[in-house]
Amino acid sequence: MGITLKNLGILLAALISSGFFLGYSWGSGSDASFPPVSHKLTAEECGSCHMAFPAGLLPARSWQHMMNTLDRHFGEDASLSPEETAAITRYLVDNAADSRNANLLMRRIASGIPSGTAPQRFTETRHFGYLHDEVPANIWKRAKIGSRANCVACHTRAESGSFIEREIKIPKD
Amino acid sequence: MNLFHLAVPLLLLSTPAWSETPQQILAQYQQQAGGASAARGEKFFFAKNTLPNGEVVSCTSCHTDNPKAVGKTRAHKQVEPLAPVANRERFTDPAKVEKWFKRNCKDVLARECTVQEKADFVAYLISVK
Repeated sequence: MGITLKNLGILLAALISSGFFLGYSWGSGSDASFPPVSHKLTAEECGSCHMAFPAGLLPARSWQHMMNTLDRHFGEDASLSPEETAAITRYLVDNAADSRNANLLMRRIASGIPSGTAPQRFTETRHFGYLHDEVPANIWKRAKIGSRANCVACHTRAESGSFIEREIKIPKD
Repeated sequence: MNLFHLAVPLLLLSTPAWSETPQQILAQYQQQAGGASAARGEKFFFAKNTLPNGEVVSCTSCHTDNPKAVGKTRAHKQVEPLAPVANRERFTDPAKVEKWFKRNCKDVLARECTVQEKADFVAYLISVK
């Protein structure tokens, strides 16, 4: 079999498609994305002091505890009206990491959290630790990052729920 | 459909029911307090307070010492400028103004603000040119 145009064409097509599939399975969305916060009140109320974190970052029991203790929310009184609290709790619980709506990533997060614990910071979960263990301590101290809760400092599309690796841009200062 | 039919819903969209001017909001506080002083408001804005946990805070901790500048919350979220001259949305929604007074006065003073403090604060920020 000589090298004909037809053979070259098949080779090229095979190369392109394998690259396509590689790229797809490596880079793309499905395993590093959360549905963005789709509940307007949750997005507004939770998002005014910090990023509106996706409900899928924590299990339902974590959200329930957090919403029951909003008057002592990380050192601030973030309490809302009973109606607002109930509506936001419902959204967070319905879309939590261990909810029926959870995707594979969220189920993985939930399974790493010991039962009987209700972590209040995603950054203290095993999943976060595992994914950030190569980030040296001095990088966390950079002014533009400042806090582990400041996802968007490095994950440029975090606000829309996307944490894929090629969107990471670590600030230099 | 003519231009008129298009313009009416557009007008309705651009003026939500709650929309007030900073002057209207100031007038309400002023009336309740019996007056307002921009100079007092300025002092209040920069005043430092020591919280029970020893942390020294003031309005400027998050809003910076320039009311026309973009600030930053403790969780590093951007805060739009406080002065209406730099942020047209500031002091246009009475419910929102009350909500943030309630919250931030507790953050900084560990108590709610008085009507007088609110009146002075709004008067100061409106005076910033």
